[in-house]
Parts: sequence; C-alpha cells; structure tokens
Amino acid sequence: MDTVRYYDIRHVRGSATHVDIDNGVVESAGTSFYDHAVVRVLGPKGWGILTMENLDPAALPEPLVREALSLALITDDPVDLADAPRGILPLPGVGEDPLDVSLEEKTALLAGIEEAAHLPEIVNTRARYAESIEEVRFCDSSGIEYTYAIPRCGFSVLAVAARNGEMQMGRESHYTIRGLNLRHRQDLGERAAQTAIALLDARAAKGGRMRAVLDPELAGVFAHEAVGHASEGDLIREGNSVLAGRTGEAIGSQVLTIVDDPSLPEFGFEPVDAEGVAVSRTELIRAGRVNAFMHTRQTLAAVGNGAAGHARASAGDQPLVRMSNTYIEEGDSSYDEILAECRSGILLKGSRGGQVDPGRGVFQFNAEYGYIIEDGEIGQMVRDVSLSGDILSTLHAITLVGDDRRMHEGYCGKGGQSVPVSDGSPHIFLEDAMVGGNGSD
Amino acid sequence: MDLIEEILRAGEKQADEVEVYISEAESVSADLKRTHVETASGSKGFGIGIRVIAGGRIGVSSTGSPRDWRACLDAACASARLAHPQEWGGLPSPAALPPVPPIRDPRVALDPAWARNVLEEMLEGAGEHDAAVTGGSASASQSRIRIANTSGVLYEQERTSVGCSIECINERSTGYEFDASPYLEIDPRRTGERAAFFAEHGAVGEEIESGNYDLVLSPVALTQLLSHVLEPALSGRNVHAGRSWLAGKLGEECIGENLSIMDDPSRKAPGSTRFDAEGVPARRITFFDGGVLEAYAYDLRTAYRYGQESSGSAVRGGPGGAPSIGIHTLVIDGRRDTVDDDPAVYVHDLIGAHTANPITGDFSVELSNASWVADGEFETPVRSAMFAGNVFDLLSSVAAIDRDERIVGTAVLPRVRLNSQHIIGK
Repeated sequence: MDTVRYYDIRHVRGSATHVDIDNGVVESAGTSFYDHAVVRVLGPKGWGILTMENLDPAALPEPLVREALSLALITDDPVDLADAPRGILPLPGVGEDPLDVSLEEKTALLAGIEEAAHLPEIVNTRARYAESIEEVRFCDSSGIEYTYAIPRCGFSVLAVAARNGEMQMGRESHYTIRGLNLRHRQDLGERAAQTAIALLDARAAKGGRMRAVLDPELAGVFAHEAVGHASEGDLIREGNSVLAGRTGEAIGSQVLTIVDDPSLPEFGFEPVDAEGVAVSRTELIRAGRVNAFMHTRQTLAAVGNGAAGHARASAGDQPLVRMSNTYIEEGDSSYDEILAECRSGILLKGSRGGQVDPGRGVFQFNAEYGYIIEDGEIGQMVRDVSLSGDILSTLHAITLVGDDRRMHEGYCGKGGQSVPVSDGSPHIFLEDAMVGGNGSD
Repeated sequence: MDLIEEILRAGEKQADEVEVYISEAESVSADLKRTHVETASGSKGFGIGIRVIAGGRIGVSSTGSPRDWRACLDAACASARLAHPQEWGGLPSPAALPPVPPIRDPRVALDPAWARNVLEEMLEGAGEHDAAVTGGSASASQSRIRIANTSGVLYEQERTSVGCSIECINERSTGYEFDASPYLEIDPRRTGERAAFFAEHGAVGEEIESGNYDLVLSPVALTQLLSHVLEPALSGRNVHAGRSWLAGKLGEECIGENLSIMDDPSRKAPGSTRFDAEGVPARRITFFDGGVLEAYAYDLRTAYRYGQESSGSAVRGGPGGAPSIGIHTLVIDGRRDTVDDDPAVYVHDLIGAHTANPITGDFSVELSNASWVADGEFETPVRSAMFAGNVFDLLSSVAAIDRDERIVGTAVLPRVRLNSQHIIGK
C-alpha cells in the first residue's frame, strides 16, 4: 500500500440518554447506544473515507485502509497535510457524574424544572434532558493514539403562554461538560415562563436601520455566525469567505477581538482535535484586524495563517473545520455606559439561532425578544426581532464593547453534522444595525 | 432464528407488545473542492430501534449493533417503566397497504466513478456562466427498512436515492443549487448551470427600498418556511398540547381559499411510502381544502391519547429515532397559473428561515438570490433585503400557484406568487 500517504481511524462509542416531559407527562425517558468508526486514507491525491458501525478495536487496519484507498483513487485534488503539534489536554473536572445518578432521579429533577414553569397564563410546558457519554479512540499512521471519554449533558425548558388567542413562548437551556446540572435549576423553568408571559404584552418590532445593543448571548451568536464561520480554513481555501485574503486588514473597530478556543472548559471543549492535533486559542480578529484562521492540517497546508487543531467531527462523520468556544473579548465599557451611548435604539436579547452566507458576507439571526431604548433607558418590550447585515460593514459599526462577558451553549450545524459549541460576548453597541421585524408604528 | 423474530419473542416475555424497526443503508459519495474531486466516501449503516408497551407505558431504545439487541431491549423496558401510562389501543395489525410507485430504482449503483461523473457534469454546467465553483457533492444510496411487531406486522421497504449539489461564487455573489430523487433522474448539468447563473446574476445587484412588494417564492424558499412553521403546527401532538396556532381551528378558513395542502405519500418523491414508521398504512391527508383546515397529523400515541385515529403520519429521524409525527410528502395544490408574468421580486433562497417563531409563525429572514422578474425573465437582481412576516398570513396572500413543481427534501412544491409582502431594504 505504498500509495497510502496517511491514514487515521476515529472510533466513537457512546450512549445517549434522554428524558422528555410534556405538560407534566413523562413522554419518554431512556438510553440508546451507538458505535461508529471513520477510516480516512490519503491516497496519491485526495481522501478516501470509509464509515462503518461496530468496528472491532482489535482488528488490523490494513483491509479497511485498502478499501478506503480504492475510493481515494478516483480523487484528483492534490491534498497535503501540514505538520501540527500533537497532544491531549486533561479533561476538566466533573462535579456530579451523570452516570452515578439513576434515570428515575434525573426524570424527577427535570420534572421539578418543568413544574416551576407552571405559572398563570402558561398553557404548555415542555422540558427535555439530553446526555451523551462518548468514548473516543483515535489512531493514525504516524503511530499517534489517543483515547478519552467525555460526558455532555443539559436540559431545555419551553413555556407557552396564551391570552385571548395570542400565544408566545419562552425558552431557557443549559448544557455542560462539568457533570449533572439538573439540581436546583427551577429558576430556569420559572424564567422561561416569565418571558413567555411578558411577551404577551410585547409589540412587534418595527424593522429598519437603527442603533442596537446586543446582549452577551446574541452578541456571542453574532461572533459565531458573522465572523467564526467566515474564518474557517476550508471556506477560505474554497474562496467562499469574505475574509479570504484580508489578513492584517482592519475590518472592525479597534475595540474588537474575537477568539476561538477549544481548550476552554466550556461546552465546545475538545481535549484533542478530531485528527489528533493539540488544541489551542486562536485570535480570529485582534484589535479589529483579521488575524488568523481556524484550520485542519489540510487547510493549514493549503491556506496558511492560523493554526490546526480546529478539526471536529460528529460520531461517524469526517472531520471538518469547526468552531468550539467562540467569543468577543471583554472591553472596558459598563452596561450603563453602553445604554447611555445608545440613547435611542433597541436592545436585542437571547437567540433563536442564525445563519450566514460567508461568501456573500451576509448574516441573519433572530433574538428571542428585545426592548426599545429611549433616552438611554430600557422601555417597551418587543418580540420577533432579528438582525441581519453585511459582515464587514457591521463589524465597523461596533463601537463599544462591554466588560461583562458571559458564555452560552448550543449546537452548530455544518455539512450535515452538529457539534456542541459555546459562544459568548459582553454587551456590545452597534451604532448602525439592520433590524428586522414586521411591526408598524 | 431471524433477528427480528428473536427480538419479538424475547420482548414478549417482558412487555405486552414489542415493535422492531431495522434500517440498513449503503452509500457512496464524492465531494468537489473548487474544480477538483477531493474526497470519495463509502458508508455502511445499520440500526435497530426497539419499542415496547407495557400497561400503556411506552419505552424505546436503539443500537447500531445486532449483537447488542438484548441490552437494547432491556433499555427499552427500563424506559417504559419510567414513562407515564396512557390510553393505548395496541400496535397495528397487518392491513392492506396502498399502492405506491416503486421508490427503488435498480439502476442506482453504488459506484464512486458514477459520483465522479456527476461532479464533472455539474462542473460543465457551471462553466456556462461567469462564476467560480467553490464546492459540490454527489451521492447515491440504497436502503432497506423492516418493521415488525407482536401483532403480526412485518413490512419491508427498499428505497434508493441520488442527489447532487453545488455552490458557486462571483465576487460577493453566491449561488447554490441541488437536485435529488429516488430515481436515477437528476440533472447535474442543469444543477451546475443554475448555481453558476445565480452567482453571476447576483454580482450586479441593486438595493431595494423598504416597502410592500409582490413576491414569487421558489419551492426552496417556500419549503424552508413551511417546514419550520406549518409542519409543526399540523402535528396533533402540538395541537393538543396548546403549542400550535392551528389548534381549535378545524373547519375554519385559515389560509387562502385558492390553496389546498396535503400529505400525499403516494407521490413519486423521496418521502413516498406504503406504511408509516410504526406500521400503519400511509394515506393521503388533506390538511387544508380550499383554505379550510380539515385535519391534523397523528401517530398512534397521540391518536389513542386524544380519541383520534392515526393518520399514518409517524416518521423516524433515523434507525435510532423513536416514531414522531411528521409529513411524508408535502404537496400544495390549487388552480395553476403563471406566477412571474407581472413584475415581482423572485426569491430563490432564504437565510435564517429556521429562526422563525414555530408557534406564532412570525419570521424575519434575509433574502438570498433575489431578483426582479417580469414576463418569466430574470431582470435586475436585488442585492440585499430582509423579508418579515407571518407564515399563516403569507399562505393567505398566495395569488397564484405555478404549473411546475420540484422536489425539495421530502416536499414537492410549486413556485407561488404572493401579493404585497413587507420587504425591509437598505
């Protein structure tokens, strides 16, 4: 097999446990099992990739490598791999191991959170717990081998309020790698309900250009959608990012530094990346300038500028360049200073997710709700409010960055794969934002 | 003993009823990075889903390993012990299944060279316009599912699917197109040509003033809004739980009177099926007839709970997925017409449709590949704009339904013309 330039095998075995409580009824609670392996072979040109279930860890890799090589032989893209530092981080400590708590007790704890959302005017509540315990084994043709097991768990709670035929929802969630997080969390159930009830009195936001303050959760999603995706080395290589070729260029105000760091013990933590490369902090934007891109070994070799260690993969899928923990670094403005500077505009809070077209440089994402800002004070609540715009001009519009960074957890989709991530930011002020909503004066 | 038989017999000793769902799939695919084939992949998948019912308590589990079925069965039984009991009328018995066009095309072969040829044809198509290809993909798969239960159901269905997709860029204008079918009937050349056309066409876009405009939504844009808002609103579970805008509105005119919306599992489409994911015969459901809400979608669990009848609407996300309520093949009908003779803003794609409010139907999205159209021709492209509205209001504003339709995911949808929709320009 002398045409095999490299191979690796990533074998992931795991269990997925869930609880689903709908309006006080335990609809479903149970555990399922999976066992996926991906064999990647770099042939004379490109990759051959084989995906299968139930790989015998003791089996010799040669037959699988030969089979993947036969696939690689139809490729014609000259792929090279950059050298990259290897190494694995210790796992962050776990408070209460979810494996030590019975499914019955998890169900009872989740029921308590759901119960807390039963406030007047709430017509439906739903709480879901999800836990995955994953064992990852990685080995490659250079003799590198790593194994680790990581627990990820968390819950979400949804409350729907209704009055006079009008319905609104509130949602809260928390996911972590630090152990079971279901105890003493009734406050989140109550908060979801309070948001839903408050939204019954909110009016639809009127869209248009205005000054905007983004809360830490939404600003974190902004960093992820508007800058993070456009800084992924595969998109840079394909010519599908507005940030390609702009290294060193000032694309935002000097107060803005945006980082992706898989080594942080947040929900997007990876002790080692999906091709066995050591993970580290990458400053995507430093003081408003394009600084570095996120890479796999392949995209680092093709593009340069940045660091490998950003390869991630869902169980049974091939590694892609992905974000992990992405955030805007703290600035020196207080929340009150930001509101005062805004004078009149809109405060956008929470996130229902977003999407970006990195080639076109256009992003869109939805806040869960917002407030009108008048004379530097928080005013009327508004619902169904979104933010969209051009990445490059929007980054210049950020003129103040707060000192109150917080991180939020979620999942990010790309190439049909979904991986756990966290995003974060302090409050930020945009002096010119494109806000969407279907309300009128 | 056959694996299914073995699981059913072992499960019967621990529960009142047992259901086994086995999914097997093989696929090949090849990926393009710019103009080169970077990756060729092959996969083999297997999954067992086990569901047990004991005293009205439903438990589920799944595994990817045929060797681990006993642990999976035990986990399903443990799961049932935790669930609340509910009214339950039994798993379905064998029944006559409706005829459906075959969804397996024997011509679909799992050959990486075929995938490579598809990529090359897409590249040729893309070469007709001034745009650079950034990436693309071609795939073919064969799959077989079997569902069996202790009431005697044992159904099997084989299906094939092929698909291709491509992305292009010209300056800061991007174009994305795809084609998919259960049959060897995709058109890679046209897929490449369309993606490159949108990238080239959008490069010279102009801004649009905020205001109300007539829109033509492509089947792609339409399905994005419907799948995130309309499909959940039709789910019997959401309706009875008070999470649907359509709750309590049976018999009311909820959308435009010229519009009917159905689930038609007998259509020649990727979601076509003779039986649903829990072994109930699939059937055509008319959700809206001339704008009037006629039906919701039910699986067995929801139907028994609320004194309804299953509409054969159970679907599974994969071999590990428990059955849930879904739509097999979403179809829109009504009087057919031309949609783009009079000037309108054509919207090919949307950014952020998944952020729509699934309960109220309110949405605010960014347009992608938008362009003025008139007399069926693309005219000046629209550089950038937001579109805010409500999905149910939008369905009341449908002024015309196109004669052509296309497969998007599991839906088969036409282009629709909408009157006076609010656009936020620059």
